[in-house]
Amino acid sequence: MTQVQRPPAISAPTGRGDEVEIAILAPRFEEHAFPWRQIFGYAASLILTMAALLLVVHHVLPPVGLIVAILALATIQASLQLGLFMHLRESLGSTWHVVTLALAIVVALGIVIFSIWIMSFKSGVS
Amino acid sequence: MAQLIAKLFPSTVLRPMEIGADASILLAVLAVVYILTRYRKWGWLWREWITTVDHKKIGIMYLIAAIVMLFRGGVDALMLRTQLALPNGHFLGPEHYNEIFTTHGTIMVFFMAMPFIFALFNIAIPLMIGARDVAFPKLNAISFWLFAFAALLFNMSFVVGGSPNAGWTAYPPLTELHFNPGVGENYYLIALQITGIGSIATGINFLVTILRMRAKGMSLMKMPLFAWSALVTSSLVIFAFPALTIALALTMLDRLFGSTFFTIAHGGMPMMYVNLFWIWGHPEVYILALPAFGIFSEVVATFSRKRLFGYAAMVGSLVAITLLSYGVWVHHFFTMGAGAAVNAFFGISTMLIAIPTGVKIFNWIFTMWGGRIKTTVAMLWQLAFIPTFVVGGATGVMLAVVPGDYQFHNSYFLIAHFHNVLIGGVVFGLFSGLYYWWPKMFGYMLNERQGKWAFWFFVIGFWVTFFPQYLLGLKGMTRRIYTYPHGMGWTLLNLISTVGAYAMGIGFIILVYSVVYSWRHQERDLTGDPWDGRTLEWSLPSPAPEYNFAVLPEVTERDAWWEMKQAGKTGRIPAKDVHSIHMPRNTPMPFLLGLSFFVAGLGAVFSWWYVAVAGMMGVFIILVSGWFDYHDHHEIPAEEIRRNEAALGRLEG
Amino acid sequence: MTTRTNSLQEARLPLEFQESHETLSILGFWLFLASDVVLFSSLFAVYAVYQGRVAAGPTPLQLFSLGPVLTETILLLTSSFTCGLAIFMMRRGRTRPLVAWLVVTLLLGLGFVGMEVHEFVTDVAVWGTWHQSAFLSAFFTLVGTHGLHVSFGILWVAALVVQLLRYGLTPTTARKVYTFSLYWHFLDIIWVFIFTAVYLSGKIT
Repeated sequence: MTQVQRPPAISAPTGRGDEVEIAILAPRFEEHAFPWRQIFGYAASLILTMAALLLVVHHVLPPVGLIVAILALATIQASLQLGLFMHLRESLGSTWHVVTLALAIVVALGIVIFSIWIMSFKSGVS
Repeated sequence: MAQLIAKLFPSTVLRPMEIGADASILLAVLAVVYILTRYRKWGWLWREWITTVDHKKIGIMYLIAAIVMLFRGGVDALMLRTQLALPNGHFLGPEHYNEIFTTHGTIMVFFMAMPFIFALFNIAIPLMIGARDVAFPKLNAISFWLFAFAALLFNMSFVVGGSPNAGWTAYPPLTELHFNPGVGENYYLIALQITGIGSIATGINFLVTILRMRAKGMSLMKMPLFAWSALVTSSLVIFAFPALTIALALTMLDRLFGSTFFTIAHGGMPMMYVNLFWIWGHPEVYILALPAFGIFSEVVATFSRKRLFGYAAMVGSLVAITLLSYGVWVHHFFTMGAGAAVNAFFGISTMLIAIPTGVKIFNWIFTMWGGRIKTTVAMLWQLAFIPTFVVGGATGVMLAVVPGDYQFHNSYFLIAHFHNVLIGGVVFGLFSGLYYWWPKMFGYMLNERQGKWAFWFFVIGFWVTFFPQYLLGLKGMTRRIYTYPHGMGWTLLNLISTVGAYAMGIGFIILVYSVVYSWRHQERDLTGDPWDGRTLEWSLPSPAPEYNFAVLPEVTERDAWWEMKQAGKTGRIPAKDVHSIHMPRNTPMPFLLGLSFFVAGLGAVFSWWYVAVAGMMGVFIILVSGWFDYHDHHEIPAEEIRRNEAALGRLEG
Repeated sequence: MTTRTNSLQEARLPLEFQESHETLSILGFWLFLASDVVLFSSLFAVYAVYQGRVAAGPTPLQLFSLGPVLTETILLLTSSFTCGLAIFMMRRGRTRPLVAWLVVTLLLGLGFVGMEVHEFVTDVAVWGTWHQSAFLSAFFTLVGTHGLHVSFGILWVAALVVQLLRYGLTPTTARKVYTFSLYWHFLDIIWVFIFTAVYLSGKIT
């Protein structure tokens, strides 16, 4: 049922947005006859949410382990949303948004992790 | 009623100096209104400028605003230097001095340097990459009007309500309501928030433009370096400004809505603001510097009449600086005492930036090596930039040494350092770009002789101003003190510094005079290629027509226009190749949106919530009506383009 | 400005990718989302630093009740699913089911915002305003910013429904629905992290 469609590869940029500069950034479109992907994504997100909730409610792990576990579950859920619902690979021309998004995630993680580190004041100097 | 008047006109806006400034602004406004009415130019102003979505005109409007703001920020600077010229100065009071250094810094960063850079992006980038406009012309106009109304709002503060006075960085707890009850900080917070939205939109706009709208054949590695610098700068903008948005928003919530982010008694941490501010603030330094690097890369190649040396290394170092610039922000507050590990990490990452920057310096020098250098004014700024920036960079590395920073921090050594990089790096670059692209913008050349006078006054003035400040810093003079006693050993150096500042002021006046003089007397640029340029903007007439390129160019090499000239492929356009062109239609929507934000902002500044809500309603109505506007393009018929190109002498037959 | 891609591609690409200048908006919107990621990460950083700074106010453990939060989560996850179905229908060129799923999405979004407003009002009634503590300030700001985003999305999708009914499915309306769906799924992702890093982690002692 699944057809994978690719726009014709054009090696040189044309300024009309259909250039492929870097092969791994080549776009890809998908269409299906039945919304299996959406249903799978929905079911998975419900299961992952419940799993995280149950882990916490029943204190299955020590606190640090719990935080790591539920953050891992959240990350899986986020990638499912990106891949299944947000059609991450779709674009006309190179998928530059994937590069930008990856950078955004690096910057975002940097802001959160470094802020926690910086603001913890592990010093007697202040 | 009396309360309202006291709020609108506190004693700080009724000092003689402020009233004098008010009067001169009023006179200037009246003069402009008179001229517009006398020569029946209101309709022209509305049709050609206020509603325009043409990137070239938007660029010119940014430029004019930036130069006006450079004037205001410069006057602020001269007032500060006048106050400090001699010990126990009485020119400004302490409160007044605080306001002036706050507005000086804020205006120079947000309302001078940023719009100046966006001006040059708008003017040059689409032409350089062979595009007919930016990706989102209407959004581009929105960005401009958000900036313009934010600048208006910020500058209103000294006329109505009182100026902000907590420094351009606006650290809490000094900005908390309890310590700073006036409306001045509200102006700062809200004006910056509004212009910040516009900046993020500009970043998105130019990223999409450069990634998707380049001429056929222009792969990324064939782009002019200025386009590369715009690409990485735009990515810095979209990833850095949100942190500022949050820092400002939290302070605003504390001041206007009673939250306690920075109230220590309720568990708040003022240092969290500092952390967020510099998460934006350090990339911001590169948002300002990298476009200047791009400008120099174009100018040095053109006036050395050589290809840029080490193109790939230049691109690589731009990207490296971009990535590194996100990992250095703590060096602005080493003295906060976050701990040895934190400070060591950020000290080392800061020093690493010197490596790609050094690569760039060498590449510019090697580009000049063996070239036939033409010392035009644009090139002179480049030549002055290299030694100036090297000194600024080297003192930056000194500041990155953490134990040293505990000594240098908040002294005039720091002031000298960042003016060294921001004037020597950014302003020199912007002036270079101004002279370089001026003919493309306006169709006439700037007078070179006058330009050289302005250059020498400004550059010598710069060194006379700021070199003594390094020494002052080492002698223990700290920033933001409004006066100092005799006998500190600071007097002579301060006096020299003030003399230098006035020399820079003279340089600026000569520059403005030269612009007006050249407009009336200087030769027109009829070729479109006055510098024998290398990139595509010089293939167009000056100024470029609305649609830029009658026929979109095809690129095979770097320095595309130079290669076309070498290959003799610069002939006229065959009439049959000209087709009709879709162009965006002018719209008043961006102007009205900016106006609504202004109303909302003013309401928030004074906590007049009815006004604020009315303004936000305006914003929503305009946005939603924009969603239903399906006719935002019009078509320029091929015949009209042929006529136009024939009149320019660029059509075959 | 407007250049159409060649007919070979036109036949094969989804409607919203058929006109080059419409796809510029899709890329531009992705970049906006990337910028919004950084905006939310700044708020998450503030929350992470302030989580334990409760002063005289309630602790996270006292403040949060997971029951209503779980309902909010399910409402938002379901709306993300129905939004995905709307795009699925759009790809098949079926305007009516598309509009129907968008309306369902809108209603679920309204339900979410309604519950969140209720949660906030109850919190303030029981524990007092955010003036109490830096923790409360950070909590209301982070969760409230997400709520404002969702509210804006509701306004947006309502306008989209009107546009679809008026103009039908064209490359322009299809692009608008597509960018809306990106926005909506993105807000779902942010919520997953709020649910995890705010509510669930507040229950870990």
